Amino acid sequence: MIKIENLSRHYQMGPTTVKAIDDLSLKISAGEFVSIVGPSGSGKSTLMNIIGCLDSPSSGKYTLAGEEVAGLSRDRLAEIRNKYIGFVFQSFNLLGRESAVENVELPLIYAGIPPKERRERAMEILKRVELQGREFHQPNELSGGQRQRVAIARALAVNPKILLADEPTGALDTKTGEQIMELFRELQSEGVTLIMVTHDPDVAAQAKRVVQVRDGKIVVDLPVGEWIR
Amino acid sequence: MTTFKFTESVKMSFRSIASNKRRSFLTALGVMIGVAAVITLVALGNGTQKSVEQSLESLGSNLLILYSGQPKGGSLVRRNTTNIQPSLTGEDLEFLESLIPEIIRSAAPESSSSGQIKYSNKNTAGTIIGTNLSYPEVRNFHPVYGSFFSENDLAARKPSAVIGAQIYRDLFIDGEDPVGQKIRINGVSFVVTGIMEEKGSSTSDSSIFIPISTFQKYISGSSMYALINIQAVDLDSMRELQTYIENEILRLHKLPNMDAADFYVANQLDLLNTLQGVTSTFTLLLGSIAAISLIVGGIGIMNIMLVAVTERTREIGIRMALGAKSSDILSQFLTEAIILSVGGGLIGIFLGVTTAIGANKFGGMASAISGESIILAFGFSVVTGLFFGGYPAYQASKLDPIEALRYE
Repeated sequence: MIKIENLSRHYQMGPTTVKAIDDLSLKISAGEFVSIVGPSGSGKSTLMNIIGCLDSPSSGKYTLAGEEVAGLSRDRLAEIRNKYIGFVFQSFNLLGRESAVENVELPLIYAGIPPKERRERAMEILKRVELQGREFHQPNELSGGQRQRVAIARALAVNPKILLADEPTGALDTKTGEQIMELFRELQSEGVTLIMVTHDPDVAAQAKRVVQVRDGKIVVDLPVGEWIR
Repeated sequence: MTTFKFTESVKMSFRSIASNKRRSFLTALGVMIGVAAVITLVALGNGTQKSVEQSLESLGSNLLILYSGQPKGGSLVRRNTTNIQPSLTGEDLEFLESLIPEIIRSAAPESSSSGQIKYSNKNTAGTIIGTNLSYPEVRNFHPVYGSFFSENDLAARKPSAVIGAQIYRDLFIDGEDPVGQKIRINGVSFVVTGIMEEKGSSTSDSSIFIPISTFQKYISGSSMYALINIQAVDLDSMRELQTYIENEILRLHKLPNMDAADFYVANQLDLLNTLQGVTSTFTLLLGSIAAISLIVGGIGIMNIMLVAVTERTREIGIRMALGAKSSDILSQFLTEAIILSVGGGLIGIFLGVTTAIGANKFGGMASAISGESIILAFGFSVVTGLFFGGYPAYQASKLDPIEALRYE
């Protein structure tokens, strides 16, 4: 599903070059549930942005679902994001003026799906994340966990290949966080590939595989059982 | 942009406009005022132009005036001829009358003098004008009560007089029948035959019309005319006719050229052209001032759209992460700007038309709403939206999604 080879991402900060990702290689297969962990500044966010096609590498190769992504145009990357990737953010990133179902419809608008079909699909997915009865509530009328469920529903709306979650439980209490992780496990069992970025070892341990990043390089890459030890 | 995306942009724009109604209204207000100002001011300008043309028409249509005196050039308004030595002869008039009906429609000589008019114990001052029977038609100035003096009065040099509306008011009690009454002009007794219509100009309404023959006998004692009003057959022939009459009168007066002439011809067309020039400049000036307010309105839209783009940076980031292309973001913000300016434009047209009609109905101002100004103002408001909305929309479309998502 994801094949990253000798990938680097450099930023120019005045006179110095910052190597956010330095000659990194990584493979993730379809249906995996992977945690990417590391302290802040380790390069895990940059890695996530590149995997999510929000950023382009300075050098190296990135193949997503068989398609070479490195060096594509902005518009092509937007299409790939729309088609292959679902984002779940720490702060939910819902549009505050729109109802839950309208938020879920957003990626479907850009996929060119007509209004009626859009609404049907969004309603169905909201049911999948157990939000029936909350479809027409605005985000500020929902609890944190419910908001994150709306965000997950939105990420799932276009049937993405990958669900990319950035600290998905960071803004939630432990119990709600647990419920979200439970949902992720269910999704994985349904065949969704999950990649989760976190700095919390307990959350990371919920995945099946843990990739630890430091100074732009992978330092540990183990199945979760071995990583905990 | 596909129809589908266009519909989506329009939907999104309406939602965004509706979510902040007061701000949207204030944003569109600039364009509203601009468009309303263009339409109102151009309507007032056009109205002025029309009313000037009309009042010129009321002098008589296709009018040439042959004046006594040295040509001074550029004289637009009727000169005060009372102090000028009349130089036009009966021969001149006979010549002009020989041109009827192929070359000119009619000719009316005119000599005038100021005088004292008395009736019973009242008296007033007025202009005594001697003329012939063609005068009412040539000057488009007719009696409203009684009649003009007759052919017989003219031939027999009878002391008959038609009085202006102001003279009637000065001398008679309202409702009193003046026809057949005797008035005294400079001591000579005249019989009133009618009252002229009200022209609204004090000179015309304070005039008394008597047969030219009577004028020559009792008032001036001279056989000369101060001026001759000539009505051309049509507007197109007036310029040619002017030259022709100048040459012929020069010949009759045995003069070499217009430099030595003791007469000159004023052409209504010149007056019309000059006034039209003045009023269209006036309209243009008003229109330009209004157009400036439209530009200011556009800047208002740009300002608000730039604020909106900044405020909604995170939203833009979210949309981009979910698959919005640059063109989607561009069209969303551009559509919003155009809806604001076009909406403002439509309300502005309504306001402008209402104001122009109101100024006419209740303010007594002449106004003529021009379809062109409506189309122009509306088109300009669309262009304003495109132009001033374009820059903020472009800025939005070029945001980096990562930066935009991080924006607080």
